[in-house]
Amino acid sequence: MDRHASRTADDADGAPDEALLVAYANGDAAAGRVLVARLGPRLFRYAARVLGDPAEAEDVVQESLLRLWKTAPAWRQGEARVSTWAYRVAANLVTDRLRRRTTRAETALDHAAEPEADLLSAVERMTEAARAEALRRALAALPERQRQAVVLRHLEGFANPEIARIMDIGVEAVESLTARGKRALTAALAGRKEELGYANE
Amino acid sequence: MALERLFDACEAVGPAPSEDFLARLVADAEALLPPPPLRDRPREPGFGWLARFFAASGLSGAAALGVWLGFVMPDVVGTMATDLAGDDSALLTTFLPGADLAALDQ
Repeated sequence: MDRHASRTADDADGAPDEALLVAYANGDAAAGRVLVARLGPRLFRYAARVLGDPAEAEDVVQESLLRLWKTAPAWRQGEARVSTWAYRVAANLVTDRLRRRTTRAETALDHAAEPEADLLSAVERMTEAARAEALRRALAALPERQRQAVVLRHLEGFANPEIARIMDIGVEAVESLTARGKRALTAALAGRKEELGYANE
Repeated sequence: MALERLFDACEAVGPAPSEDFLARLVADAEALLPPPPLRDRPREPGFGWLARFFAASGLSGAAALGVWLGFVMPDVVGTMATDLAGDDSALLTTFLPGADLAALDQ
């Protein structure tokens, strides 16, 4: 299911992103403001989820949109979606930052797989904030490409072909990354029994 | 599945940018805003466009303006020419430099 299609930036009530970008390239400042409102929060959410650092996420988003404005006069209509292009630039910038980090991210604890029912029960009992924190820490334990693919697929709602364009890989590679990423996430969550509150069950 | 439950719970709730940051993004967009196409730019108030016309066209533009003024404001131009030269024939001489009145009669 492509959840992204249901909340695509091509709003029925407004102009498509591409039309706004062309208008911006022709001196329409309001078109630029609408694009910032549409793309800024989404790109920030994606970058912050993958990087785990709001300040770095801001840098990535700012640079991504600067490149979008600079490319606007040469934008060729019909070749790519504006959002896909922006996410692709952001994904590359995020990857660069992850690779430059000198400290390793948290690694998944090596635990035997816990019964799924126990984990589900624990998740159901968690507060919303606790769920978000648990997922954040588990994502931080993933290898960067798996993390990117999982965030784009299961939190940003992109379909696999779109993720393939954003990450510049094949669709099969996306499927492999998301599958491996989900297995690793499950293992990471299972490794945090105490936090999830089912250590003694 | 527990993981899907976690994804569903976290999907809509995520890190949000500050208003200050969004304002910086808008400022970046406005700083790089290309100029509008020439045809869409507003006209200058007054006769600034006229000055630019003369600067661009030089003597030929001045001559063309003279002919135009003679047609649209003949009374004013005629009076002015008479005051300057004393008779109506000065009108054509003044606004057609180098032209011979006799040549025009041929």
